Amino acid sequence: MLDFIYDDTFEGFLTAVYEAYYSKEKPQIIMRNSFYEDNLFSNKKIILTDLDKFEKVYKAINNKISHEALENIYFTYLSDIKNCDMMAYDYIKLGFKLGNQIDMHVYDPTVLNVHKISKKVAGEVHAMLGFVRFSMIRNDMYYSEIEPNHNILQLITPHFVNRFNNENFIIHDLKREKASIYNKSEWCIIDFSKEQGEKVMNKNNNLFYEELWREYFNNMAIESRKNPKAQKRSMPVRYWKHLTEIK
Amino acid sequence: MDISEKLRILSDAAKYDVSCSSSGSKRKNVKGGIGNASASGICHSFTADGRCISLLKILLTNYCSFDCAYCVNRISNDIERAAFTPEEVISLTMNFYKRNYIEGLFLSSAVFKDSNYTMELLFKVVYKLRVEYKFNGYIHVKAIPGADEMLIKKTGEYADRMSVNIELPSSNSLKLLAPQKTKEKIIKPMSFIGNQIKASNEERKIFKNAPSFVPGGQSSQLIIGATPESDFQIIKLSEGLYNNYNLKRVYYSAYVPVSNHPKLNEIKKAPLLREHRLYQADWLMRFYGFRASELLNDKSPNFNKKLDPKTDWALRNIHLFPIEINRADPKELLKVPGIGVRSVNKIIKARLVHYLNYEDLKNLGVVLKRAKYFITCKGKYYGDVRFDDMAIKRKLSNGVDNLNQISFFDLDYSRNLKLLR
Repeated sequence: MLDFIYDDTFEGFLTAVYEAYYSKEKPQIIMRNSFYEDNLFSNKKIILTDLDKFEKVYKAINNKISHEALENIYFTYLSDIKNCDMMAYDYIKLGFKLGNQIDMHVYDPTVLNVHKISKKVAGEVHAMLGFVRFSMIRNDMYYSEIEPNHNILQLITPHFVNRFNNENFIIHDLKREKASIYNKSEWCIIDFSKEQGEKVMNKNNNLFYEELWREYFNNMAIESRKNPKAQKRSMPVRYWKHLTEIK
Repeated sequence: MDISEKLRILSDAAKYDVSCSSSGSKRKNVKGGIGNASASGICHSFTADGRCISLLKILLTNYCSFDCAYCVNRISNDIERAAFTPEEVISLTMNFYKRNYIEGLFLSSAVFKDSNYTMELLFKVVYKLRVEYKFNGYIHVKAIPGADEMLIKKTGEYADRMSVNIELPSSNSLKLLAPQKTKEKIIKPMSFIGNQIKASNEERKIFKNAPSFVPGGQSSQLIIGATPESDFQIIKLSEGLYNNYNLKRVYYSAYVPVSNHPKLNEIKKAPLLREHRLYQADWLMRFYGFRASELLNDKSPNFNKKLDPKTDWALRNIHLFPIEINRADPKELLKVPGIGVRSVNKIIKARLVHYLNYEDLKNLGVVLKRAKYFITCKGKYYGDVRFDDMAIKRKLSNGVDNLNQISFFDLDYSRNLKLLR
């Protein structure tokens, strides 16, 4: 039995799934390179990302299982949870058996796991649409720092592109040192270090509206209804670091 | 007075309005414009009292010519007064929006000079934002009771939501506490807005590009606890509002004492549990097929403090239970205490391919704390007391259910219902 190790891309993951089906040697695990810890006894096979193989698996999932399942798999892959690759792989295997009915089998642990994870990812996406905070760096340039649990940059950026299609902006995932960049016509994701981020943030000297927002935020709480527990449940403390009004 | 000072005064005056929803509208951005509306609504922050901030909620001015006893802004109250210029409101909205602090603007106002004058001012701000600044974020604007219908119509064409607050749940209380307001004055704009929404929806079925009118619907607010109305009177009123004026939401606001007017109920603490029960009942009426008269009646006109309204109802109708989880139709499942819309959707999906047992329900994430006394799985009852209303009642009223659930009601769950209907 082998450890199938891929290059951290979704294309690489589905290539690994392809290899698992068609090569003689079966995987014991499928795992992305950045999670993998080599040891003396490990027997690993490096998967070379192959776009043809990726596309075959991608289409097979979409056509033979369902589009919903494909989305669940992608979200699970993006979750960055330790064993998410195996959970997604087990789900795919079951999916090829059950076809488009797979998501009705919510009582099955394989399906349940993937549903739980993709719901978490979707939940964080929705929360981040609200919790992203931009600072004005130049007249028409906005910059935001986030540290989400899951790798959701590519899921949240289109929302801001639609909303702010006439502004330039950067959303910087400090944890993964990546950023999505939009220049009023196109957007892409690039590597972006913490140091680069600091340099950009230093240019933020327009604090007038940040101050107003903080005052507004504090003023809106009704003293006699104080309920910090409810506040923290809806807005987990791990996000506070980057929230202008409460950091 | 600088803008920071004004923001302090005029947000303070607006914060007792509980509506924060930014849902229901799918307004798109335009070329060269800014913003759009998200159908499910987005919360941007949560204040120390656990309420969501979605919109910049401010009054245009708190200079008021009315003297409503329950209201902080009444003319006879000695407080700081201020007024924004339209430009100030616009620059706050645009700059907060661009930093992603808010989904849009919730603009209200005290009655400055008279109703028409105030409504005209509100219209100007909304029009400027939409047309001159190409702002397509969410706008919720108050309709001022007594304002000309033409003004309300003009405003509604640029807004996503409009609301008229009823505040006091009966004509008697209005007469006593808000002498310049009458039931008719409040209902009139409400029914006008309701009719306009209906007409615009009809028109848009035929002409896709016909102008929208308040696509996010209209809402209203009732103050709870300042006056002597019973819970039954209040939910009957809400039911009427939903049925007759097509309201999207009625909000309930536990009265926070901002006045010690002699005509008001003496009150020390905001009645939060009562507010919570009313929201629960409101949900039951809108999404679970309950009528007000099923939940309460003249003999027991107030909600049970220890049991939520659905459990209370189920115990009074114990002959309808237990129901078999594998066979009951979705409408019956919805009536089981503790089982909500999400759980029902999961159950009906899963049982198409599988015969469900009790463990399966747990795995699905169905909350069984209360539900277990009202269902059977594969014919078996799983309650830890015998199936008897008194025994179950004793068991369930031991712990008063958690007040913290309040925050849940700030979310808009209506989109989960699509699957069911």
